[in-house]
Amino acid sequence: MIVEISHFLALLATGLFFLVGCFSFIRSGNIYISNLISRTYSHAFLLLLTSFTIYVWLAITDNFSVAYIASHSNSDLPTFYKISSIWSAHEGSMFLWILFLAAWGFLFNRSVDNEVALKPLSIGIISIVLVGFLSFLLLTSNPFETILPFGPPNGADINPVLQDPALAIHPPTLYLGYVGFVIPFACALAFLINGNTEIKWEELVRKWSVSAWIFLTLGITLGSWWAYYELGWGGYWFWDPVENVALMPWLAATAFLHSISVSVKSSNLRIWTILLSISVFSLSLFGAFIVRSGIIDSVHSFANDPQRGLYLLAFIGTIIFTSMILFVIRLPMIRSAGSIKAFSKESFISINNILFGSLVFSIMLGVTYPLVYEFLFDQKISVGAPFYNAIFIPIVVIASIFLFFSIDSKWQRTVKMKFFAGPTSFSVILAVISVVLCIYFFNTESFTIIASLFAGFLIIHRYIIEIASSIFSKKYINPFSVLAHFSLGLLIVSIAFNSMLSTERAINIKINESESYMDLNIFFKDISLVNKSNHDAIKANFRIEDSFSNSFTLSPEKRKYFTRGQITTETAIYVTPLRDIYLTIGDQLEDGSWIVNIQINYLIRWIWISAVFMSFAGLMLIFSKQRQKI
Amino acid sequence: MNQIRKKRLYNILLVSLFSVSGISLILYSLNSNLDYFFTPTELKEQNISSDKRIKIGGMVLEGSVFRNDSNISFTVTDYESFVKVEFKGIVPDLFQEGSGVVALGYLNDEVFYAEEVLAKHDENYMPPNIEINNDS
Repeated sequence: MIVEISHFLALLATGLFFLVGCFSFIRSGNIYISNLISRTYSHAFLLLLTSFTIYVWLAITDNFSVAYIASHSNSDLPTFYKISSIWSAHEGSMFLWILFLAAWGFLFNRSVDNEVALKPLSIGIISIVLVGFLSFLLLTSNPFETILPFGPPNGADINPVLQDPALAIHPPTLYLGYVGFVIPFACALAFLINGNTEIKWEELVRKWSVSAWIFLTLGITLGSWWAYYELGWGGYWFWDPVENVALMPWLAATAFLHSISVSVKSSNLRIWTILLSISVFSLSLFGAFIVRSGIIDSVHSFANDPQRGLYLLAFIGTIIFTSMILFVIRLPMIRSAGSIKAFSKESFISINNILFGSLVFSIMLGVTYPLVYEFLFDQKISVGAPFYNAIFIPIVVIASIFLFFSIDSKWQRTVKMKFFAGPTSFSVILAVISVVLCIYFFNTESFTIIASLFAGFLIIHRYIIEIASSIFSKKYINPFSVLAHFSLGLLIVSIAFNSMLSTERAINIKINESESYMDLNIFFKDISLVNKSNHDAIKANFRIEDSFSNSFTLSPEKRKYFTRGQITTETAIYVTPLRDIYLTIGDQLEDGSWIVNIQINYLIRWIWISAVFMSFAGLMLIFSKQRQKI
Repeated sequence: MNQIRKKRLYNILLVSLFSVSGISLILYSLNSNLDYFFTPTELKEQNISSDKRIKIGGMVLEGSVFRNDSNISFTVTDYESFVKVEFKGIVPDLFQEGSGVVALGYLNDEVFYAEEVLAKHDENYMPPNIEINNDS
């Protein structure tokens, strides 16, 4: 009964969103209509929120007459995982995705004045997108479906690899990032439809775009961290298609944030900014299509159903096609009168746009090429890490060098580049010294690693000088830009060190024996059987001693979950600032020894820390803007 | 042709030159980094050079798994042809005899030296291109 109320509220919300969409195309400029649109949207959102809250309540109270809850939750689960089980599969996660989309619209609706010219139309566009996705949810993947007349006594349980705090918050964070870009998208379209070039739509959406970007950055970072400790493979990035479809909107969004910082000041790069705002949201939608249509094989992909894929393809295709047509029609209007001066900040940002665009294009190719190829030639192929490395490393190095030279450039004017002046040459010298030291100490011969290290150090040293000169000689620096780009340097250096130094080996070891690997001495103490409420586990205890005579115990596990019979590996990780000691246990051999995989991962924590720093830079930007307004 | 048009033409030529060379570079690296997927039967039919990285997929033949130190060897089959696979390291949790597997590596003298072995994270997973009649 309660589930029907929830279902009905969702239907009602869909109807109201549809009305909002219709109203918004009445171009009267009448304030009463604007107020009506705003109020109706708020009510529709509150209905949807109530519907979702009831659904969460159903999950918490183990209402297994709801088919979705019955197949993804279990009464033995802690409440936290009962809630997170809602977004552990297709239907529920789509529901959350839509709720977040509506929530961004709601917040935008509340904080922007009704008299702002683009607002009614933007809210209308958001509503149309919502109607499309809500109909998709209710028609093809209804989370409210019930099992009649009686539900099963207990649920089928959530997949054990998903019973993890990082994974419970990873999808919501990522979704908040994905769908947050509906606001720049809707405002850009409203701007194009409206056709008045005097309107500063960029100012309206900048803060929102940065907020969405923060969530996207954190969401990707959380996913990477989770995969590292939970899947037992040890890496932080696998170029899996589903990771790639999250990286594409991130790259496009990063380019968009750079581009909008130009368009806010002057109307230069407006074409780029609008194109990018459309691209970011389109890429988010493309990601939803790839994950939910089942056309790729991936750890992440949900079960496939051709009907869903077709609906999504048609709807997303229509959105992208319509916005592109609109963009092309209005192209002459948004062409900026002023030209960009050579070596100005704008010129560097347009180069940045081109480089980021190439990265997005390459990933898109890597994701779609196997699909097209199989369709045409009936031969399965896959595109792996070597392709992405071959593209990313050179482009990131080139982008870093442009970034390095852009630091001294000024807005809207040419400043003569002083290649041999203080900070520039000084940081080049420091970077060369750092790289030479790395080659000397670590004997690396790989050109790609040397080039990446050089690029990373170049940025880091240059920004350290910049920070120092702001402290000692009160030079003005833009703190957000400095922090974000410094983190980029840190990220590049951490990735380079990680791939240069990290090693792994599988060893066979018996109880009470010891083995040595690199500077570590590994002693196999014992192995025990552990019985937990929902799984049995084999828990091995290792005593490890490193060259600084630190000694610690690591206990990797192998678990067997009762409800699904699934076997999972629990890694044991010893974390130090510079490196992780990462242990997983494999099978037992006939002679009684166990296979143990040991990895030493250098600077891996710093990869995630850099990403967190980047999002922190975004956070600072948002709050600083607000303060200026007040 | 007047000056403005000439300049515009040069700009267009320059831009297209850059984008064409950029795209061909990307396509070139895509083409040299593709992993082709084969079933054991397709592997027998085609001649694949030993320096080409490929993916093979099929079922792990029952009774074919042997371990020696941290090396593991097993036979992948589509129940028509068979390929012997050698691998050093830990196989995934879901790797077992009679279930699906995908391996990435090099074929040399009819033995497949795997660099990576994957088992799908799904109990019902069947490697592509293999259809087994459950009734028989």
